Amino acid sequence: MMNRRIFTQDAAARWRTRFVAALQFVLPFLILGVLWELIVRTGVVSQTSLPPPSRIACKFWELCVGDHLLWRHLARSMYRLSIGYALAMGSGLLFGSLLAMNRILGDMFSPILSLLISVPTIAWVPVFLITMGLGDRTVIAAVFLGGFFAITYNTIRGIEMVDVSQVRAARTMGARGPKLFTAVLLPASSVSVLTGLRLGIGYSWRALVGGEMLSAMIQWGIGKMIYQARFWNDIVVMFVGLLVIGLTGFLLDRLLIRWLERVTVERWGMVTER
Amino acid sequence: MTQEIIQIDGVSKSFGKADRQVAALNEVSLAFRDGEFAVLIGPSGCGKSTLLYLIAGFESPTTGEIRLDGKKIQKPGPDRGFVFQDYALFPWKTVLGNVMFGLLRNGYSHRDAKTVAMEHIRMVHLQGFERAFPHTLSGGMKQRVGIARALAYNPKVLLMDEPFGALDAQTRKLMQQEMVSIWEATQKTVVFVTHSVIEAVYLADRVVVMTAHPGSVKGIIDVDVPRPRQYTEEHYLHIRQDVLALLEDEVAKSAKALA
Repeated sequence: MMNRRIFTQDAAARWRTRFVAALQFVLPFLILGVLWELIVRTGVVSQTSLPPPSRIACKFWELCVGDHLLWRHLARSMYRLSIGYALAMGSGLLFGSLLAMNRILGDMFSPILSLLISVPTIAWVPVFLITMGLGDRTVIAAVFLGGFFAITYNTIRGIEMVDVSQVRAARTMGARGPKLFTAVLLPASSVSVLTGLRLGIGYSWRALVGGEMLSAMIQWGIGKMIYQARFWNDIVVMFVGLLVIGLTGFLLDRLLIRWLERVTVERWGMVTER
Repeated sequence: MTQEIIQIDGVSKSFGKADRQVAALNEVSLAFRDGEFAVLIGPSGCGKSTLLYLIAGFESPTTGEIRLDGKKIQKPGPDRGFVFQDYALFPWKTVLGNVMFGLLRNGYSHRDAKTVAMEHIRMVHLQGFERAFPHTLSGGMKQRVGIARALAYNPKVLLMDEPFGALDAQTRKLMQQEMVSIWEATQKTVVFVTHSVIEAVYLADRVVVMTAHPGSVKGIIDVDVPRPRQYTEEHYLHIRQDVLALLEDEVAKSAKALA
């Protein structure tokens, strides 16, 4: 009886904190939306340069449910993102590990890495357009390059920061070579590696949008949707595109990276739980 | 108590680059007998941990050599077990996973490794915590995992670097008592580093007192007190006085050097 009551109180308290958290999340958006709507409706800013949120929402709904065009754009973008990001992840982890584990390689390549990391990915796209054509390959290359450096850099840092006692413990117990790497160095550096993956997917996503805009042979893609809207002077579609880009980036982080964090570093107590 | 299992022959160790070398150990010669509980003690900076690292193979001596079972030590390996002051457990592995680690690296099948690991988890009284991750354990429990992990794959010697240094007084005392039973049960050669005289004389067959800057052996004291020992027993207290007397002028010297 007693237990049951404590349980229900707990559940109620839990729902209350969840409600407060949801409110804290939604409220700033609501305030922003209402202010925006007011500014446009009262004519402070003209509707041709800033469409009101209500119109953006209607258009969003129309593109989502009406003709499903939005989904086609998004699906195409996701296809390019997943290939490019997977490549960035694989090669970033590999390259970063190699540079961190081999002093000579690390010393040799780190200046090049520092040099390349300061070149915006979008600046490469014209080069890719010539070497890889005007289609998917160029966009995927941009996505790859966007994520690659962040993942590589953070992998190097992560492995360099692994606790020397843990490595010594593993070596005493007979772990060496590839096994030492997969069983100890990689999991021990997972906090930093995850930071790289998080930054990487953000950069990849941005590079994707830019790459899609510049690749002429591409018809579908969320970046392309915005770019094409220019020809029709359809500023509402542009804002729908901006909204979807922001929302997708947010969801990628929340669903993919946060999930990864929860099942690894948070479960292992290597970071404080959020 | 006959055979010498670890032989340290004229070992010196210095750190740093050629022009700014700091000598940590100077001409240390010492042997540990098979099955004995040896404790290294000395003021901070006397190189006692360095000597343990050399035996573990984490570092190489600048001159001289160390042999384990007649074979020169070149690098770390599973003929030794090491217990770290900061535990050095793998946070991504459960208690069971940590203890199984060394077994899986040394030819055990997963099933056998689990069986042996469970035995050692029981030995350190952590049954029921096999599935727990290290970050959920207290310091004393973490070090129990550390000990189980270092012993599970049956090394010839157990090297312990101030293993109870980070524990509170109560836990520390309990761990000392359990360490004696573990040592009696496993018959391992233990080389144990501490800066606590109480701990040294409670645990050791022999206490090796080291001098500071650079470290060398000042004296070796046999602790001929039968176990289980009492912290208040007269003979035990006498030996503590002997060790303290040997240590005291070293501590004073070390303090002067730092001032």
